[in-house]
Amino acid sequence: MAKTENPTATRERALQAQIERIETESGAKAIGVALHDAETDFELHYKADRWFHAASTIKVPILLGVFAAIDRGDLLPHSRVHVRNRFLSVVEGVPFRVESGRDSNSAVHNAIGKMMRVDELAYHMITTSSNLATNLLLSVVGTDAINKTLKELDVDDGIDLKRGVEDELAFEKGINNMVTADGLLRILVLLSEGKAFSPALSRRMMDILHGQEFNQGIPARLPKAARVAHKTGEISTVAHDAGVVYLPKRKPYGLVVLSEWDPAGSGRSRTIATISHTIYEFLTQEPVDE
Amino acid sequence: MSSTAFAGPTGLNESANFPLRVVDGLTLPPEYRKALRPGEEWKDEMGRPRQLPRYFYEIPSWDSAMKIELATHFLLWEFIQVDVREAAPLRTFPRYVPCAITLLAVCLERFREAVGSMVHISANGGYRSPSHRFSKNATLHAWGTAANIYRIGETYLDNRGAIERFSLIARETLPGIWTRPYGAPTGYAEDHLHLDLGYVLSVPRDVKS
Repeated sequence: MAKTENPTATRERALQAQIERIETESGAKAIGVALHDAETDFELHYKADRWFHAASTIKVPILLGVFAAIDRGDLLPHSRVHVRNRFLSVVEGVPFRVESGRDSNSAVHNAIGKMMRVDELAYHMITTSSNLATNLLLSVVGTDAINKTLKELDVDDGIDLKRGVEDELAFEKGINNMVTADGLLRILVLLSEGKAFSPALSRRMMDILHGQEFNQGIPARLPKAARVAHKTGEISTVAHDAGVVYLPKRKPYGLVVLSEWDPAGSGRSRTIATISHTIYEFLTQEPVDE
Repeated sequence: MSSTAFAGPTGLNESANFPLRVVDGLTLPPEYRKALRPGEEWKDEMGRPRQLPRYFYEIPSWDSAMKIELATHFLLWEFIQVDVREAAPLRTFPRYVPCAITLLAVCLERFREAVGSMVHISANGGYRSPSHRFSKNATLHAWGTAANIYRIGETYLDNRGAIERFSLIARETLPGIWTRPYGAPTGYAEDHLHLDLGYVLSVPRDVKS
Protein backbone atom coordinates (compact mmCIF):
# COMPACT_ATOMS: atom_id res chain seq x y z
CA MET A 1 0.00 0.00 0.00
CA ALA A 2 1.36 3.42 -0.95
CA LYS A 3 2.40 5.54 1.99
CA THR A 4 0.34 8.77 2.23
CA GLU A 5 1.94 12.00 3.44
CA ASN A 6 0.57 13.94 6.40
CA PRO A 7 -1.71 16.67 4.90
CA THR A 8 -0.03 19.35 6.97
CA ALA A 9 3.35 18.33 5.68
CA THR A 10 2.01 18.43 2.14
CA ARG A 11 0.67 21.94 2.65
CA GLU A 12 3.93 23.03 4.20
CA ARG A 13 5.88 21.69 1.23
CA ALA A 14 3.56 23.54 -1.11
CA LEU A 15 4.06 26.80 0.78
CA GLN A 16 7.82 26.27 0.87
CA ALA A 17 7.76 25.84 -2.89
CA GLN A 18 5.78 29.04 -3.37
CA ILE A 19 8.21 31.02 -1.25
CA GLU A 20 11.15 29.48 -3.03
CA ARG A 21 9.65 30.59 -6.34
CA ILE A 22 9.11 34.13 -5.02
CA GLU A 23 12.70 34.19 -3.81
CA THR A 24 14.01 33.10 -7.21
CA GLU A 25 11.88 35.57 -9.15
CA SER A 26 12.70 38.47 -6.82
CA GLY A 27 16.41 38.51 -7.48
CA ALA A 28 17.13 38.59 -3.74
CA LYS A 29 20.39 37.01 -2.65
CA ALA A 30 18.59 35.22 0.16
CA ILE A 31 15.27 35.17 1.92
CA GLY A 32 14.42 33.76 5.32
CA VAL A 33 10.88 33.26 6.55
CA ALA A 34 9.50 32.13 9.90
CA LEU A 35 5.81 31.72 10.62
CA HIS A 36 3.81 30.65 13.64
CA ASP A 37 0.04 30.56 13.44
CA ALA A 38 -1.61 30.61 16.87
CA GLU A 39 -4.94 29.56 15.33
CA THR A 40 -3.74 26.27 13.84
CA ASP A 41 -0.27 25.88 15.37
CA PHE A 42 1.01 25.68 11.82
CA GLU A 43 4.66 26.65 11.49
CA LEU A 44 6.94 27.38 8.59
CA HIS A 45 10.69 27.73 8.77
CA TYR A 46 12.22 28.65 5.45
CA LYS A 47 15.94 29.31 5.85
CA ALA A 48 14.80 30.54 9.21
CA ASP A 49 18.11 29.88 10.93
CA ARG A 50 20.14 31.87 8.38
CA TRP A 51 21.78 34.96 9.88
CA PHE A 52 21.05 38.36 8.36
CA HIS A 53 22.27 41.84 9.22
CA ALA A 54 19.49 42.93 11.58
CA ALA A 55 19.15 46.53 10.36
CA SER A 56 16.34 48.14 12.36
CA THR A 57 14.66 44.88 13.35
CA ILE A 58 17.19 44.83 16.21
CA LYS A 59 14.95 47.49 17.76
CA VAL A 60 12.48 44.75 18.74
CA PRO A 61 14.98 43.06 21.11
CA ILE A 62 16.01 46.50 22.34
CA LEU A 63 12.35 47.28 23.08
CA LEU A 64 12.20 44.07 25.07
CA GLY A 65 15.31 45.12 26.99
CA VAL A 66 13.85 48.54 27.79
CA PHE A 67 10.70 46.96 29.17
CA ALA A 68 12.79 44.52 31.17
CA ALA A 69 14.33 47.57 32.87
CA ILE A 70 10.82 48.88 33.50
CA ASP A 71 9.80 45.50 34.88
CA ARG A 72 12.82 45.51 37.21
CA GLY A 73 11.98 49.01 38.38
CA ASP A 74 15.24 50.44 37.03
CA LEU A 75 13.19 52.66 34.74
CA LEU A 76 9.70 54.01 34.67
CA PRO A 77 7.83 54.63 31.42
CA HIS A 78 7.93 58.32 32.27
CA SER A 79 11.59 58.36 33.35
CA ARG A 80 13.37 61.17 31.58
CA VAL A 81 16.36 60.74 29.33
CA HIS A 82 18.70 63.48 28.18
CA VAL A 83 18.50 63.71 24.39
CA ARG A 84 22.09 64.03 23.31
CA ASN A 85 23.44 63.12 19.91
CA ARG A 86 26.79 61.76 20.90
CA PHE A 87 27.57 58.08 21.24
CA LEU A 88 30.68 55.97 21.53
CA SER A 89 31.51 53.35 18.93
CA VAL A 90 32.18 49.83 20.13
CA VAL A 91 35.43 50.25 18.21
CA GLU A 92 37.86 52.04 20.52
CA GLY A 93 35.14 54.26 21.98
CA VAL A 94 35.33 56.71 19.11
CA PRO A 95 32.47 59.27 19.36
CA PHE A 96 29.88 59.36 16.58
CA ARG A 97 26.55 61.02 15.89
CA VAL A 98 23.31 59.91 14.30
CA GLU A 99 22.86 61.87 11.09
CA SER A 100 19.60 63.77 11.35
CA GLY A 101 19.05 63.44 7.60
CA ARG A 102 19.11 59.66 7.85
CA ASP A 103 16.57 59.59 10.65
CA SER A 104 13.01 59.85 9.42
CA ASN A 105 11.91 61.20 12.76
CA SER A 106 12.60 64.86 13.52
CA ALA A 107 10.84 64.87 16.91
CA VAL A 108 13.76 63.31 18.74
CA HIS A 109 16.37 65.46 16.98
CA ASN A 110 14.31 68.54 17.83
CA ALA A 111 14.62 67.65 21.50
CA ILE A 112 18.43 67.67 21.55
CA GLY A 113 19.62 69.29 24.77
CA LYS A 114 16.26 68.61 26.44
CA MET A 115 14.75 65.43 27.83
CA MET A 116 12.24 62.89 26.56
CA ARG A 117 10.40 60.16 28.38
CA VAL A 118 11.41 56.52 28.02
CA ASP A 119 8.01 55.60 26.59
CA GLU A 120 8.22 58.43 24.05
CA LEU A 121 11.65 57.27 22.93
CA ALA A 122 10.46 53.67 22.69
CA TYR A 123 7.53 54.79 20.57
CA HIS A 124 9.74 56.77 18.18
CA MET A 125 12.29 53.94 18.06
CA ILE A 126 9.65 51.56 16.73
CA THR A 127 7.01 53.55 14.87
CA THR A 128 9.33 55.74 12.81
CA SER A 129 12.48 53.75 13.48
CA SER A 130 14.31 56.67 15.10
CA ASN A 131 17.99 55.77 15.31
CA LEU A 132 18.63 58.57 17.78
CA ALA A 133 15.91 57.26 20.11
CA THR A 134 17.36 53.75 19.77
CA ASN A 135 20.88 54.75 20.74
CA LEU A 136 19.61 56.85 23.63
CA LEU A 137 17.65 53.93 25.05
CA LEU A 138 20.56 51.58 24.48
CA SER A 139 22.87 53.97 26.31
CA VAL A 140 20.53 54.02 29.31
CA VAL A 141 19.79 50.28 29.48
CA GLY A 142 23.05 48.86 28.13
CA THR A 143 23.78 46.13 25.60
CA ASP A 144 24.83 43.64 28.27
CA ALA A 145 21.59 44.08 30.21
CA ILE A 146 19.52 43.54 27.06
CA ASN A 147 21.44 40.41 26.14
CA LYS A 148 20.92 39.15 29.69
CA THR A 149 17.18 39.75 29.33
CA LEU A 150 17.07 37.83 26.07
CA LYS A 151 18.86 34.93 27.73
CA GLU A 152 16.58 34.96 30.77
CA LEU A 153 13.52 34.89 28.52
CA ASP A 154 15.12 32.13 26.45
CA VAL A 155 14.89 34.17 23.25
CA ASP A 156 18.60 34.81 22.78
CA ASP A 157 19.01 32.13 20.12
CA GLY A 158 18.95 33.91 16.77
CA ILE A 159 19.57 37.40 18.17
CA ASP A 160 23.08 38.83 18.26
CA LEU A 161 23.01 42.34 19.71
CA LYS A 162 26.44 43.91 19.68
CA ARG A 163 26.01 47.68 19.36
CA GLY A 164 23.85 50.68 18.67
CA VAL A 165 22.79 51.80 15.22
CA GLU A 166 24.78 53.98 12.81
CA ASP A 167 28.06 52.94 14.36
CA GLU A 168 29.82 53.20 11.01
CA LEU A 169 33.22 52.33 12.40
CA ALA A 170 31.84 49.05 13.75
CA PHE A 171 30.10 48.39 10.42
CA GLU A 172 33.41 48.83 8.59
CA LYS A 173 35.00 46.32 10.96
CA GLY A 174 32.16 43.83 10.39
CA ILE A 175 30.78 44.20 13.91
CA ASN A 176 27.04 44.12 13.28
CA ASN A 177 23.79 43.21 14.96
CA MET A 178 22.53 39.98 13.42
CA VAL A 179 19.23 38.12 13.54
CA THR A 180 17.57 35.02 12.18
CA ALA A 181 13.92 34.81 11.21
CA ASP A 182 13.36 32.20 13.93
CA GLY A 183 15.06 34.43 16.50
CA LEU A 184 12.79 37.39 15.83
CA LEU A 185 9.73 35.16 15.64
CA ARG A 186 10.38 33.78 19.12
CA ILE A 187 10.29 37.31 20.55
CA LEU A 188 7.13 38.23 18.66
CA VAL A 189 5.35 35.08 19.82
CA LEU A 190 6.37 35.83 23.40
CA LEU A 191 4.93 39.34 23.09
CA SER A 192 1.72 38.33 21.37
CA GLU A 193 1.06 35.62 23.94
CA GLY A 194 1.50 38.17 26.75
CA LYS A 195 4.45 36.28 28.23
CA ALA A 196 7.07 39.02 28.20
CA PHE A 197 7.25 40.03 31.91
CA SER A 198 3.49 40.44 32.28
CA PRO A 199 0.41 40.57 30.07
CA ALA A 200 0.20 44.33 30.70
CA LEU A 201 3.81 45.05 29.69
CA SER A 202 3.52 42.70 26.71
CA ARG A 203 0.42 44.58 25.61
CA ARG A 204 2.22 47.91 25.91
CA MET A 205 4.99 46.65 23.66
CA MET A 206 2.47 45.31 21.18
CA ASP A 207 0.67 48.66 21.22
CA ILE A 208 3.92 50.36 20.26
CA LEU A 209 4.48 47.85 17.45
CA HIS A 210 0.93 48.50 16.26
CA GLY A 211 1.90 52.14 15.75
CA GLN A 212 4.34 51.27 12.97
CA GLU A 213 4.21 53.90 10.23
CA PHE A 214 6.16 52.02 7.54
CA ASN A 215 3.62 49.66 6.04
CA GLN A 216 4.99 48.69 2.62
CA GLY A 217 5.98 45.19 3.73
CA ILE A 218 3.86 42.65 5.59
CA PRO A 219 0.65 44.75 5.74
CA ALA A 220 0.74 46.09 2.16
CA ARG A 221 -1.33 43.36 0.50
CA LEU A 222 -3.42 42.25 3.42
CA PRO A 223 -7.12 43.07 3.69
CA LYS A 224 -8.05 46.35 5.34
CA ALA A 225 -9.41 44.51 8.34
CA ALA A 226 -5.94 43.18 9.13
CA ARG A 227 -3.99 44.88 11.88
CA VAL A 228 -0.27 44.33 11.99
CA ALA A 229 2.08 45.01 14.90
CA HIS A 230 5.48 45.03 13.26
CA LYS A 231 8.95 46.42 12.77
CA THR A 232 10.72 46.93 9.50
CA GLY A 233 14.43 47.14 8.84
CA GLU A 234 16.30 48.28 5.76
CA ILE A 235 19.85 49.18 4.82
CA SER A 236 21.53 49.01 1.42
CA THR A 237 21.84 45.23 1.48
CA VAL A 238 18.85 44.00 3.48
CA ALA A 239 15.12 44.57 3.78
CA HIS A 240 13.10 42.98 6.55
CA ASP A 241 9.72 43.00 8.20
CA ALA A 242 8.78 41.17 11.39
CA GLY A 243 5.34 41.28 12.92
CA VAL A 244 2.16 39.78 14.24
CA VAL A 245 -0.89 39.78 11.98
CA TYR A 246 -4.35 40.09 13.54
CA LEU A 247 -7.32 39.11 11.40
CA PRO A 248 -10.99 39.15 12.41
CA LYS A 249 -12.38 36.01 14.05
CA ARG A 250 -9.16 34.11 14.35
CA LYS A 251 -6.04 34.05 16.48
CA PRO A 252 -3.03 36.00 15.18
CA TYR A 253 0.00 34.72 13.37
CA GLY A 254 3.59 35.81 13.74
CA LEU A 255 5.54 36.32 10.55
CA VAL A 256 9.14 37.31 9.92
CA VAL A 257 10.51 37.92 6.43
CA LEU A 258 14.21 38.69 6.14
CA SER A 259 15.88 39.38 2.80
CA GLU A 260 19.34 40.17 1.52
CA TRP A 261 20.02 42.05 -1.71
CA ASP A 262 22.64 43.54 -3.94
CA PRO A 263 22.76 47.26 -3.16
CA ALA A 264 21.24 47.98 -6.57
CA GLY A 265 18.49 45.41 -6.17
CA SER A 266 14.90 46.61 -6.43
CA GLY A 267 11.46 45.30 -5.48
CA ARG A 268 12.32 44.65 -1.85
CA SER A 269 9.08 45.80 -0.23
CA ARG A 270 7.07 44.20 -3.02
CA THR A 271 8.77 40.87 -2.37
CA ILE A 272 8.03 41.02 1.36
CA ALA A 273 4.42 42.02 0.63
CA THR A 274 4.08 39.13 -1.83
CA ILE A 275 5.34 36.62 0.70
CA SER A 276 3.02 38.07 3.33
CA HIS A 277 0.07 37.86 0.95
CA THR A 278 0.93 34.29 -0.01
CA ILE A 279 1.02 33.28 3.63
CA TYR A 280 -2.22 35.13 4.35
CA GLU A 281 -3.97 33.23 1.55
CA PHE A 282 -2.43 29.98 2.68
CA LEU A 283 -3.65 30.39 6.25
CA THR A 284 -7.11 31.67 5.45
CA GLN A 285 -8.10 29.40 2.60
CA GLU A 286 -9.61 26.02 3.37
CA PRO A 287 -7.31 23.17 2.35
CA VAL A 288 -8.55 21.52 -0.84
CA ASP A 289 -8.87 17.71 -0.74
CA GLU A 290 -7.09 16.15 -3.67
CA MET B 1 12.27 66.83 57.26
CA SER B 2 14.52 67.12 60.29
CA SER B 3 17.40 68.86 58.52
CA THR B 4 18.90 72.01 59.96
CA ALA B 5 17.72 75.24 58.37
CA PHE B 6 19.38 78.58 58.97
CA ALA B 7 17.62 81.81 59.73
CA GLY B 8 18.94 85.32 60.00
CA PRO B 9 18.32 87.80 62.84
CA THR B 10 14.91 88.61 61.42
CA GLY B 11 13.91 84.99 61.43
CA LEU B 12 13.91 84.87 57.65
CA ASN B 13 16.07 82.75 55.45
CA GLU B 14 19.44 83.95 54.24
CA SER B 15 17.92 86.74 52.22
CA ALA B 16 14.57 88.34 52.78
CA ASN B 17 13.75 88.32 49.08
CA PHE B 18 14.98 84.81 48.36
CA PRO B 19 12.38 82.17 49.07
CA LEU B 20 14.49 79.05 49.50
CA ARG B 21 15.71 77.87 52.86
CA VAL B 22 19.33 76.83 53.33
CA VAL B 23 20.07 73.40 54.75
CA ASP B 24 23.22 71.82 56.08
CA GLY B 25 23.70 68.71 53.97
CA LEU B 26 25.19 66.87 56.93
CA THR B 27 21.81 66.98 58.65
CA LEU B 28 19.86 65.51 55.75
CA PRO B 29 18.49 61.96 55.88
CA PRO B 30 20.99 59.20 55.01
CA GLU B 31 19.76 58.59 51.45
CA TYR B 32 20.37 62.25 50.61
CA ARG B 33 23.75 62.35 52.34
CA LYS B 34 24.80 59.27 50.43
CA ALA B 35 23.87 60.87 47.12
CA LEU B 36 25.03 64.45 47.82
CA ARG B 37 28.15 63.56 49.84
CA PRO B 38 28.12 66.97 51.61
CA GLY B 39 31.54 68.24 52.62
CA GLU B 40 33.30 65.09 51.46
CA GLU B 41 36.51 65.08 49.53
CA TRP B 42 36.44 64.02 45.91
CA LYS B 43 39.52 63.74 43.75
CA ASP B 44 39.72 65.59 40.46
CA GLU B 45 41.22 64.15 37.28
CA MET B 46 44.72 65.08 38.52
CA GLY B 47 44.16 63.27 41.81
CA ARG B 48 43.84 66.48 43.84
CA PRO B 49 41.27 66.34 46.65
CA ARG B 50 38.37 68.77 46.34
CA GLN B 51 35.79 69.43 48.99
CA LEU B 52 32.19 69.01 47.93
CA PRO B 53 29.53 71.58 48.90
CA ARG B 54 27.95 71.22 52.32
CA TYR B 55 25.20 73.86 52.17
CA PHE B 56 22.28 73.61 49.84
CA TYR B 57 19.11 75.41 48.94
CA GLU B 58 16.09 73.20 49.42
CA ILE B 59 13.69 73.28 46.48
CA PRO B 60 10.26 72.14 47.68
CA SER B 61 8.61 71.49 44.32
CA TRP B 62 8.96 71.69 40.57
CA ASP B 63 6.36 74.41 40.66
CA SER B 64 8.59 76.57 42.84
CA ALA B 65 11.62 75.83 40.62
CA MET B 66 9.59 77.06 37.66
CA LYS B 67 8.88 80.36 39.41
CA ILE B 68 12.07 81.28 41.25
CA GLU B 69 14.35 83.67 39.38
CA LEU B 70 18.04 83.25 40.02
CA ALA B 71 18.73 86.04 37.57
CA THR B 72 16.59 88.15 35.28
CA HIS B 73 16.59 85.57 32.48
CA PHE B 74 17.33 82.40 34.41
CA LEU B 75 14.84 80.45 36.45
CA LEU B 76 15.89 77.83 38.96
CA TRP B 77 14.43 74.90 37.00
CA GLU B 78 16.94 75.44 34.20
CA PHE B 79 19.75 74.46 36.56
CA ILE B 80 18.25 71.27 37.95
CA GLN B 81 17.18 69.30 34.89
CA VAL B 82 18.59 65.84 35.41
CA ASP B 83 17.59 62.60 33.77
CA VAL B 84 17.23 59.03 34.93
CA ARG B 85 20.97 58.80 35.53
CA GLU B 86 20.71 60.98 38.64
CA ALA B 87 20.50 59.18 41.99
CA ALA B 88 16.89 58.23 42.65
CA PRO B 89 16.32 60.33 45.82
CA LEU B 90 17.51 63.41 43.96
CA ARG B 91 14.99 63.04 41.16
CA THR B 92 12.06 63.79 43.42
CA PHE B 93 11.24 66.80 45.58
CA PRO B 94 12.45 68.26 47.79
CA ARG B 95 15.58 68.71 45.71
CA TYR B 96 18.85 70.23 46.83
CA VAL B 97 21.21 72.49 44.95
CA PRO B 98 24.51 73.97 46.21
CA CYS B 99 24.30 77.58 47.32
CA ALA B 100 26.91 78.59 44.73
CA ILE B 101 24.29 78.11 42.03
CA THR B 102 23.31 81.76 42.43
CA LEU B 103 26.81 82.86 41.40
CA LEU B 104 26.59 80.75 38.27
CA ALA B 105 23.24 82.32 37.44
CA VAL B 106 24.66 85.83 37.74
CA CYS B 107 27.55 84.89 35.45
CA LEU B 108 25.20 83.40 32.89
CA GLU B 109 23.05 86.51 33.00
CA ARG B 110 26.08 88.60 32.14
CA PHE B 111 26.99 86.14 29.39
CA ARG B 112 23.47 86.40 28.03
CA GLU B 113 23.78 90.18 27.86
CA ALA B 114 27.01 89.76 25.92
CA VAL B 115 25.59 87.33 23.35
CA GLY B 116 22.28 89.17 23.14
CA SER B 117 20.16 86.05 22.96
CA MET B 118 18.62 83.21 24.96
CA VAL B 119 21.16 80.89 26.56
CA HIS B 120 19.93 77.31 26.97
CA ILE B 121 21.41 74.98 29.58
CA SER B 122 21.20 71.33 28.56
CA ALA B 123 19.63 68.51 30.54
CA ASN B 124 22.25 67.15 32.98
CA GLY B 125 24.15 70.33 32.19
CA GLY B 126 23.45 72.40 35.31
CA TYR B 127 23.75 70.98 38.81
CA ARG B 128 24.09 67.25 39.05
CA SER B 129 25.14 65.36 42.12
CA PRO B 130 28.38 63.42 42.56
CA SER B 131 26.21 60.28 42.35
CA HIS B 132 24.90 61.09 38.88
CA ARG B 133 26.11 58.45 36.42
CA PHE B 134 27.75 61.16 34.31
CA SER B 135 29.61 62.68 37.25
CA LYS B 136 33.24 61.74 37.54
CA ASN B 137 36.58 63.26 38.54
CA ALA B 138 35.14 65.95 40.79
CA THR B 139 33.08 67.45 38.01
CA LEU B 140 32.27 71.11 38.62
CA HIS B 141 28.62 70.33 37.96
CA ALA B 142 28.53 68.80 41.45
CA TRP B 143 29.51 72.20 42.89
CA GLY B 144 26.72 73.97 41.01
CA THR B 145 29.28 76.16 39.31
CA ALA B 146 29.28 74.68 35.79
CA ALA B 147 26.88 74.89 32.88
CA ASN B 148 26.68 73.02 29.60
CA ILE B 149 25.10 75.27 27.03
CA TYR B 150 23.78 73.49 23.98
CA ARG B 151 22.03 76.37 22.26
CA ILE B 152 22.27 80.14 22.11
CA GLY B 153 19.37 81.76 20.34
CA GLU B 154 18.84 79.59 17.27
CA THR B 155 22.46 78.44 17.14
CA TYR B 156 23.19 74.89 18.26
CA LEU B 157 26.64 74.58 19.78
CA ASP B 158 27.49 71.32 18.06
CA ASN B 159 30.38 72.40 15.89
CA ARG B 160 33.80 73.93 16.28
CA GLY B 161 32.86 77.33 14.86
CA ALA B 162 29.94 77.93 17.19
CA ILE B 163 31.60 76.54 20.29
CA GLU B 164 34.82 78.50 19.83
CA ARG B 165 32.99 81.72 19.00
CA PHE B 166 30.85 81.67 22.13
CA SER B 167 33.67 80.32 24.25
CA LEU B 168 35.70 83.42 23.38
CA ILE B 169 32.78 85.68 24.28
CA ALA B 170 32.42 83.90 27.63
CA ARG B 171 36.10 84.31 28.46
CA GLU B 172 36.11 87.97 27.45
CA THR B 173 32.95 88.69 29.41
CA LEU B 174 33.50 86.70 32.58
CA PRO B 175 36.89 87.12 34.27
CA GLY B 176 38.22 83.82 35.55
CA ILE B 177 35.70 81.67 33.69
CA TRP B 178 36.98 78.42 32.23
CA THR B 179 35.63 76.84 29.06
CA ARG B 180 36.32 73.40 27.68
CA PRO B 181 38.18 73.42 24.37
CA TYR B 182 36.44 71.99 21.32
CA GLY B 183 37.18 68.34 20.65
CA ALA B 184 36.20 64.73 21.25
CA PRO B 185 38.63 63.43 23.91
CA THR B 186 37.93 63.52 27.63
CA GLY B 187 38.24 67.08 28.88
CA TYR B 188 36.99 68.54 25.61
CA ALA B 189 33.47 69.17 24.35
CA GLU B 190 32.07 68.88 20.85
CA ASP B 191 28.31 69.18 21.30
CA HIS B 192 28.01 71.95 23.89
CA LEU B 193 29.86 74.83 25.50
CA HIS B 194 31.00 73.93 29.00
CA LEU B 195 31.86 76.85 31.24
CA ASP B 196 32.59 76.86 34.95
CA LEU B 197 33.71 79.08 37.80
CA GLY B 198 35.99 76.56 39.47
CA TYR B 199 35.54 74.89 42.85
CA VAL B 200 33.54 77.59 44.57
CA LEU B 201 32.02 76.76 47.96
CA SER B 202 29.29 79.09 49.08
CA VAL B 203 28.78 79.22 52.86
CA PRO B 204 25.71 81.22 53.90
CA ARG B 205 26.41 84.04 56.35
CA ASP B 206 24.24 82.60 59.13
CA VAL B 207 26.14 79.34 59.26
CA LYS B 208 28.15 79.06 62.47
CA SER B 209 31.09 77.03 61.26
